[in-house]
Amino acid sequence: MTMNPAHSSALAAAAAAHPALWQAHQLGCSAVPTTPSGHALLDAQLPGGGWPHRTLTELLLPHVGVGELRLLLPALVALEGSVFLVGPPALPCGWAWAALGLPPQRLVVVQGEGVDQLWALEQALRSGQAAAVLAWLPPRLGAFGLRRLQLAAQAHDGPAFLLRGLGAAAQASPAVLRLALQPAGPEGLRLQVLKRRGPALAEPVHLALPGVLCSPEPASAYEAFEA
Amino acid sequence: MACPAPAQQWLALHLPWLPLEALAATLPPQQRSEPLALFEAHRVALVNAAAAARGVAPGHNRATALALVPALWCGQADVARELQALQSVAHVALRFTPMVALVVQARPTVLLEVQASLRYFGGLTALLQRLLAELQPLGWLMREATAPTAEGALLLACSGRHGGIGAHSSSLAELRRLLDTLPAALLAPAQAQALHAMGLRSVAELRAQPRDGLTRRFGELLLARLDQARGHRPDVRQPYVPAPVFESNLELYTRADHAEQLMHGAALLLERLVAWARAQQARVARFVLLLRHEQRHRGQAVPEATELPIALAQPSDDAAHLQGLLRERLQRLQLAAPTLALSLHCHELVRTPAPNGELFPSRATQHEGLARLIERLQARLGPQQVCRLDLAEDHRPERATRLVPIEPARWPPVQTLQPPALPEDPDEPFPCGRPLWLLHPPQPLREQDLHPWLGGQELLLLAGPERIETGWWDEAPALRDYYVAATPEGALLWIYRDRRTAPAPTSGSRWWLQGRYG
Repeated sequence: MTMNPAHSSALAAAAAAHPALWQAHQLGCSAVPTTPSGHALLDAQLPGGGWPHRTLTELLLPHVGVGELRLLLPALVALEGSVFLVGPPALPCGWAWAALGLPPQRLVVVQGEGVDQLWALEQALRSGQAAAVLAWLPPRLGAFGLRRLQLAAQAHDGPAFLLRGLGAAAQASPAVLRLALQPAGPEGLRLQVLKRRGPALAEPVHLALPGVLCSPEPASAYEAFEA
Repeated sequence: MACPAPAQQWLALHLPWLPLEALAATLPPQQRSEPLALFEAHRVALVNAAAAARGVAPGHNRATALALVPALWCGQADVARELQALQSVAHVALRFTPMVALVVQARPTVLLEVQASLRYFGGLTALLQRLLAELQPLGWLMREATAPTAEGALLLACSGRHGGIGAHSSSLAELRRLLDTLPAALLAPAQAQALHAMGLRSVAELRAQPRDGLTRRFGELLLARLDQARGHRPDVRQPYVPAPVFESNLELYTRADHAEQLMHGAALLLERLVAWARAQQARVARFVLLLRHEQRHRGQAVPEATELPIALAQPSDDAAHLQGLLRERLQRLQLAAPTLALSLHCHELVRTPAPNGELFPSRATQHEGLARLIERLQARLGPQQVCRLDLAEDHRPERATRLVPIEPARWPPVQTLQPPALPEDPDEPFPCGRPLWLLHPPQPLREQDLHPWLGGQELLLLAGPERIETGWWDEAPALRDYYVAATPEGALLWIYRDRRTAPAPTSGSRWWLQGRYG
């Protein structure tokens, strides 16, 4: 099907008129600033070329430790200021975070239960003082709570990540970007874009993550163990 | 003839409704608009708008007033309460000029000598606007007037019958003309009837009488006031000096059963505290809120008062910030007994220069904002819940990283403590390849044919072993072989095999999961 040239020029004019407008087959290029994720393959698929600021980004994981931190760390390292971890599922190992470039004096760990945790997250977002916020939310979180967090995130000039279980994929969410993460081997990650400002992406994105293994020959571990 | 610019310029802030407003401040906010009357010597002295609309008027006795409005809130004037309210106005005024004087008794007024401050604040209008804006949170209705003499400004402010705006006069001649139009009773409210009986209604009529006769009849004070107001006689005012220790009380009209009901009263006291601190160019480092309880509540002995000390990581003179901290504390507080009165004490001030205001947020202001955020989080969640990571040089991973409560004033650490560069050599204490998540305590894994299993799936060992054998000198010796393992889906785990002779008592397994590569 060919497009009427007058029609297409009118569309182009409309898209140029306001940065928040985009066509359905294009990626949105909103006026919201972004932080490059540090993974070129992923940046190409994200509207604005990175993690969006002033809004929530949802990452849905099957379980803790699929490689979500190695996915996020390049962006966190590039930012300046304190990174808030709200309700982390385990103790962050300071030495490992430092080895990947995020020294412990940039980390604030906030613990709390239920309502207190949501309150702390809202305060951290609303204050606009955090460089980035990572939050592990209680599994039962209503649409109202998410909406409230999304409003609070508008004051936060930096990326805000909600890390939730894969079960949340079926729920509606006000977050403008939602990704589902699956492990793909020891040094890889498979990302499925569930929601973005742009066309749906059928194929998952495969990313290479920084390696964690010192000794490259896996077989040696078994030999040593059997011995 | 043009008058020269006056040597002094006095600004008078008269609070005509102070006794009533000080009484209303003790009520919960939702009841302040209900009918309220202030009694003096068993007669109604002042009424609020709601009571006036129902027909209650000054001069009624208690029975009449209650017959008109059965649900009338009644209260007595309290000199101490009004003085505290007036002092709070004086504290705000001290930011504009060092010369502030209080007039109490029948004419509650704060006098400011502002001639020297006019230039700095950009003229009288600009100064007045800023002053009134800063007085706004205290919530008193005021009439203001300016005049070259203190008594003149006071009389003009007291005379402003219509609206909140009093007269402003910039020269003595203008002031004298204005004074002549005022009612003579203003000079001596106690002798109003006698003046009226003599037919002396305005000040001009009073001035036309012989002076010695007036002195004989009304005493020296009347003419002395008039001369001071007209600038014929020096008017010496005692400058007000704020007390070195802040103490302000608020007796609640109705007892408070829940901590939230105290917030409105505490907010008013905090406004006063901030005004007191600012008057001395200082910031509050610590304050104590005392909740005075009803005694013998339900037959139990209860403490006389609950003390609620609030220490600030960074001294502040921001009422909203102090209120936020106090609100978090009050929300978590269970009252031991109903509260009857609040009392706020402060004697810890920091007199360093205040931080500069900035057009664009800089590193320093961001630092302060972050410290405040952490302070607020800790006020509600408790200091133990808002932590930083503390690294220690220990081979046992659970000891190498610990969570330590943050001290907000020292966050973020200015002296950036760089962790030692991680050595390339795997024989060194901290090779790369530590997991990003540590499970604490480690989780036991099922063991089958000497191999570790997790969730019904055998784990694949990818790398290792890394032997850690340490701590034989303390209570937690570790003899472990660490491996990097993978689940069949490909998630990476950090597991160890305990090499101590006795297996774990619960599962019988020697395999433990201690980390996940996030």
